Amino acid sequence: MSATATIYLLTAAAVFGIGVYGLLQARQILRQLLAINLMGGATFLLLITLGGGADGPPDPVPQAMVLTGIVIAVSATAFALALLVKLQDATGSSDLDPPDAE
Amino acid sequence: MIALAMDAIIAIGLVWLALRTVRGANVFSAIIMFIVFGLIMSLAWARLHAPDLALAEAAIGAGITGALLLVTWRRLQVLEGSVPQVGAETRSLWLTLPTGLAAALLIAGLGWVALSLPAEPATAGELAWQRLPEMGVSNPVTGVLLGFRAYDTLLEMGVLLAAWLGAQVVASEHRPGALPGPAHEEVPLVGALLSLVVPISLLVAVYLLQAGGSAPGGAFQGGAVLAAGGVLLCLTGRLEAADQASLIERVVLILGLAVFSGVGLVMLPLGEPMLAMPGVWAIYLIETALLLSIALTLVLLFAAAPGLRRRL
Repeated sequence: MSATATIYLLTAAAVFGIGVYGLLQARQILRQLLAINLMGGATFLLLITLGGGADGPPDPVPQAMVLTGIVIAVSATAFALALLVKLQDATGSSDLDPPDAE
Repeated sequence: MIALAMDAIIAIGLVWLALRTVRGANVFSAIIMFIVFGLIMSLAWARLHAPDLALAEAAIGAGITGALLLVTWRRLQVLEGSVPQVGAETRSLWLTLPTGLAAALLIAGLGWVALSLPAEPATAGELAWQRLPEMGVSNPVTGVLLGFRAYDTLLEMGVLLAAWLGAQVVASEHRPGALPGPAHEEVPLVGALLSLVVPISLLVAVYLLQAGGSAPGGAFQGGAVLAAGGVLLCLTGRLEAADQASLIERVVLILGLAVFSGVGLVMLPLGEPMLAMPGVWAIYLIETALLLSIALTLVLLFAAAPGLRRRL
């Protein structure tokens, strides 16, 4: 395995772990969405690096799947953000711990 | 050697920006860090021989997602009104420490597994390369998207449409989330800027569409660039939310799905499988329809509106 592949595989692992950490310790739902998007980005990075992106001819199948994945991610994020605005409108808070629960 | 140093810088940048995203002082700076993360990610795609992904990440991952996040952040602020935000931005140390430790263990485990994975022969990719000449396009990613895995792309359009429909369903009746008008007086330079940037975004979108057959590009990248022009028109108050979608908007929203499904069914009576492409013209026809649908759907998602109209 080339050094480039090693670097990006480790980066994918690190960013995924950071995303999980962010998801667990975020207080706002918007931050959780950011963390989930980080996890998604790390997964894409892993797929492409394992698909031979670093060395040899690139594999077009994982590239096409990740391209699809990027569009699905923005769709899901947009829907989640619409839900978030509705939540704020309906309850007056978009935090995970409403102030009166503390 | 220089290439390796470049990879190391990109990798360190990605990890640092991811950390800043989850540990940012406030939500706004977290969003900004996430947008920069997307931009650096597109550099990583370029290094990994995936220029199509680099374009998509820059236009969709960083651009449109960033615009959506920022406008939602603003809407949440407007809805919150004068109510001050109560509570700390991050959790206390006795929660952070074990979570951080567990995440570090996860990173170590994932890294170990990823490095010890055996290299798999890329059978599907090799088949795609071999049979690419049959498709009539020379960009393998476009070939896979519209030829070999056309189902994925068709259903992806369904997901995009479903996301917009879902956003419409949950939107409140009095639409508190509607775009606020431009806060400032009309600045003369805004018009000049728009008359320059919006035609260029149209030009780039059409170029990306046309180039997608043989070079990096395609309907998704082009659609996102066109949507960026639309977002700009919304932000500067040239377009405003309408109460409902006009007939043209409704047609354009489903155009991608409809044309794709229609062309996919044409070859069925001739004994070909569903979604078999009758020729290169069909690929470009579908890509054009996809581009229009993607661009309008993304702009409408940004505006959180069923339709748009010119501000008079």
